[in-house]
Amino acid sequence: MNDDAMERMLAQAAENPNAAECDAAIARAEAALLKDLRPARRLASPMTLALLFLAVFAAVAFLFAARLGLGGIHALSAAQRANIFPLLLAAAGFAALGLTREMRPASGRHLGAAALAVCLAGFPLLFLANFRSLGMAHFVREGWPCLKAGVMVAIPAGLIAALILRRGFVLSWKMAGLAAGTFAGLTGLAMLELHCPNLNVLHIVVWHVAVVATSAAMGLATGWAADAIRRRAASKRLHS
Amino acid sequence: MPVLTTPSRAPMEGLERLMCGYQQGDDEAARELIRRVSPLLLRYFLVQAAGRRFAEDLVQETWMRIHKARPTYRTGEPVLPWIYAIARYTGLDYYRRTRRVEVREEQVEVLPERAAPATSGAAAAPDLEEMLAGLPASQKEVIVMLKVSGMSIEEVASATGSSAGSVKQKAHRAYEVLRAKLARGVMKA
Repeated sequence: MNDDAMERMLAQAAENPNAAECDAAIARAEAALLKDLRPARRLASPMTLALLFLAVFAAVAFLFAARLGLGGIHALSAAQRANIFPLLLAAAGFAALGLTREMRPASGRHLGAAALAVCLAGFPLLFLANFRSLGMAHFVREGWPCLKAGVMVAIPAGLIAALILRRGFVLSWKMAGLAAGTFAGLTGLAMLELHCPNLNVLHIVVWHVAVVATSAAMGLATGWAADAIRRRAASKRLHS
Repeated sequence: MPVLTTPSRAPMEGLERLMCGYQQGDDEAARELIRRVSPLLLRYFLVQAAGRRFAEDLVQETWMRIHKARPTYRTGEPVLPWIYAIARYTGLDYYRRTRRVEVREEQVEVLPERAAPATSGAAAAPDLEEMLAGLPASQKEVIVMLKVSGMSIEEVASATGSSAGSVKQKAHRAYEVLRAKLARGVMKA
């Protein structure tokens, strides 16, 4: 059999399925959807949503840093500031784009994992290029509070991101959780760059970047749990 | 390459207009959209493994999700990738859940009867489910979207969240398997 004949076979086979099954499915859908049909308010454009996420990023990072003290930005040189903050904003923009994609079905490939990979590979290189090693003294004692503070900032940023995500229609909360966790982790990282005056490259590469990884893992786990709960509810509906 | 040829789009034209009407609460537009899209969704779920038992329920569940998701549809964008993306996750949710349940179930002695094939005039037509049986689920869904719904490669990529290259590869592999099956005479030509 040649390709044309197979195309014809597929086209023939693709005709409507059993008419009775079709009619039943149509009748059920009409009964459920048309009884109280009202106009739906359209979701904002992806650009508006991305700007909203960026506003959350900037506001949360700055407010928490201002509360804890802006020692970090004062300790950085002009060149370090010029290298770090635009790249932090660009990474947050990429993560925000990933979040807007999670809000609409069929809006493109998931970007959460890519955003995380870019952060985990890019920021250590950026910090290695901008800071120098000052040894391993008090490595854990000085690092642990930074990780804790970064994660404590990431949690509200992630919660606000989740609230915005709920305005859309998320198909995979696992992927949305990863994107939100990465975005929130970047918020925590930005706060640390504004607040932490420790310029030891090992401290920054390990403890500051760990905020992004920890937050992304938390987001992924939360999304996975949300998916499991939703799947259970859908399954109950189907089997009832 | 035969895989790239798609059926006529004519029956699916105007779906965007209907979807906008549905979004704005227009009863007639919603009714027409349901009438035109439901057979596609039913076919989509029927060709998936273990879909027949619950295909109609899955169509219903997909419509409920479409209803909830309708604010996210953007005017001017193709409707079918948006609908299939929702249908796809509805199916995934269902299969993940039932696979776990079925593993724990005892094997039945008598297999459930398959529903009768399409009625009038279709006696000699090949059965799509039979044709696609044995293909991996990802290849089946690509063939259904391309051949049943007449979507383009790019639209299928958008619905499945993959690249156009990956869609082409899946369709090509599916065709290879189908060709081999036909050559062995597994299907009634």
